[in-house]
Amino acid sequence: MQTFRMNTNLLPSLLEALKHWGTLVAPVERAPGVFSLQEIDDITKVRPEALRTVVPFKKLLLKPRFTMLERVGGEQVREGTDNDMGPVVYFGAHSCDIHALKILDLLYLSEFQDPYYKRNRDQLTVVGYGCFPDDKCFCSSLGTETTEDGFDIFLTPLDGRFLVTVRTARGDEIVCAHPELFEPATRQDGKEYLKRLGDREKAFTLSLDVTDLPYVLELKKDDPVWEELGKKCLCCGSCSMVCPTCSCFNVIDETPEEGRSQRVRYWDACLYRNYALVAGGHNFRDSRADRVKNRYYHKQEAFVREFGKPSCVGCGRCIENCPTKINVVEVFQYVRGEL
Amino acid sequence: MSVEMSKIVPPRTAVRSLPTGDNCYMPAQARVMRIQELTSDVRMFDLRFNDPRLAEGFTFRPGQFVELSVLGVGEGPFSLPSSPTRRGFFQLGIRRAGVLTDFLFDRTVEGDSVGIRGPLGNGFPIELLKGHDVLLVAGGLGMVPLRGMLHYLIDLRDHFGRVILLYGTRSPEQVLFREELESLARRGDAEIMLSVDTTQGKPWGGKVGVVTQLIDDVKLDVAGTYAIACGPPVFYKFMLDKLVRLGFAKDHMFLSLERRMECGVGKCGHCAVGYTFTCLHGPVFSYWDAINLPELIYT
Repeated sequence: MQTFRMNTNLLPSLLEALKHWGTLVAPVERAPGVFSLQEIDDITKVRPEALRTVVPFKKLLLKPRFTMLERVGGEQVREGTDNDMGPVVYFGAHSCDIHALKILDLLYLSEFQDPYYKRNRDQLTVVGYGCFPDDKCFCSSLGTETTEDGFDIFLTPLDGRFLVTVRTARGDEIVCAHPELFEPATRQDGKEYLKRLGDREKAFTLSLDVTDLPYVLELKKDDPVWEELGKKCLCCGSCSMVCPTCSCFNVIDETPEEGRSQRVRYWDACLYRNYALVAGGHNFRDSRADRVKNRYYHKQEAFVREFGKPSCVGCGRCIENCPTKINVVEVFQYVRGEL
Repeated sequence: MSVEMSKIVPPRTAVRSLPTGDNCYMPAQARVMRIQELTSDVRMFDLRFNDPRLAEGFTFRPGQFVELSVLGVGEGPFSLPSSPTRRGFFQLGIRRAGVLTDFLFDRTVEGDSVGIRGPLGNGFPIELLKGHDVLLVAGGLGMVPLRGMLHYLIDLRDHFGRVILLYGTRSPEQVLFREELESLARRGDAEIMLSVDTTQGKPWGGKVGVVTQLIDDVKLDVAGTYAIACGPPVFYKFMLDKLVRLGFAKDHMFLSLERRMECGVGKCGHCAVGYTFTCLHGPVFSYWDAINLPELIYT
């Protein structure tokens, strides 16, 4: 790990330079206060201060819909290539996003590796950007408010400059190619970083008590709260689509034209009615209550048991995007009997 | 309790690949050698991989499954009614249930090729069974994976104690592998008893009644026996209760479960139940593990 400082007015030069390492993807403002991750040509459109993009970076690794396998005529079945992004530089990742990336890595790069994910992941450069929480952020409850790895470079905004953390050899390559942008960090930079850290910690207004949560959920599996929640939840799947760690998918076969067959994969959500439908017509989670409960249990109980941590990073996207204002933090407060 | 529960989920760390392809979603082509009608809606497909090295080298554990696909039509999980002790080919027992199986029944003939990915899932706990009596209990289509297990036990007969199969179906026409089972029973390698719910006027030499009643006719050394059950949800409901009442420890009883295994490699999420992916940590679970996952057996 190495630490530098960079003047704020040099950010456009850095953004321009990053294009050399791949397609630059960063937050842009689509409508007032609404940000989305887009490929960047004109770097003046980049809004690094965006707190959360509607759809997270997962779309850079696994597109909402892509061809896994295809066959034309009598040829051999071959891998689809429409998910291949080539080298990508993801600029503006917050700590929670980086933790989400690490969670996706646990799922997709362990045991049977997902080749479509891996190809994009191997070519991804991550440039982090320090954020400040709003009233929907609860990453500090999940230990994802800071990160020591999972990025190549991380920029923390300080007064008039950035503290630049270089984590990987790729990050070092970028810094070494542009010595004019970086200076050695000073003791004062370190001091200001610590002050910012303290101010940021105090700025969190939302917190989720995760103490013994998997077991608490085990105890509460028959609680009426899930029926209540089932009445409120529309099972629209918005929370899953915007969740940076939700990555369930469905697979369908198609023959778009004579002599061409393909197996297509697209984002799915456990909240959709057909999710747990099996051949013969039996649905293992036919009620909305069962489906919404399953989503929370998967994130806070199942994933913990399998991988040692929850698959929630506290980014607040599900809170922001729920059409019936279901708030994950309130749900768990209710489960604990605090509401 | 949390320690017990977490035991069935091995940490997902080691990277491994399937013998059918480096890309775990890419099937290997296998030729349909023979199609046999088992009942009016169940057929057995004998398959052999086109790649001779894969064909000879392909092995699996009884209780594992494969994903069979026809690109452009669909893909689905199927149990193997054959045993890995017999190399060079494998079999799939398939019930007509949808678009893909319609294609296999109506449009597929001997000599055609289909895609296969596997073997997938954990399979039956062979190591535990060694030196013990093994009680296989099948209901309906549950006989498909248990036939693979039965062949395995018989092929490695000296490693196991008594081999007992109790198998029930609704009616005599629905009994899978009837002649074979009757001939195995005569040979004496295994104690085999069949039952049907009703004879529907068809000739029938076995018991009439629900399969749970067959247990009453067998003398079991419960402490020295492992039970393996496979059948529809209603079958589990009665069979597992019965075995517990007979004194079987809940971790000496295993069952194989059906879920919507789609990717088969623990990624797509469709077969997740509680903290397990049925395709990866199952489809075989001990009864103890299954009752700790409330959704797993009954819904």
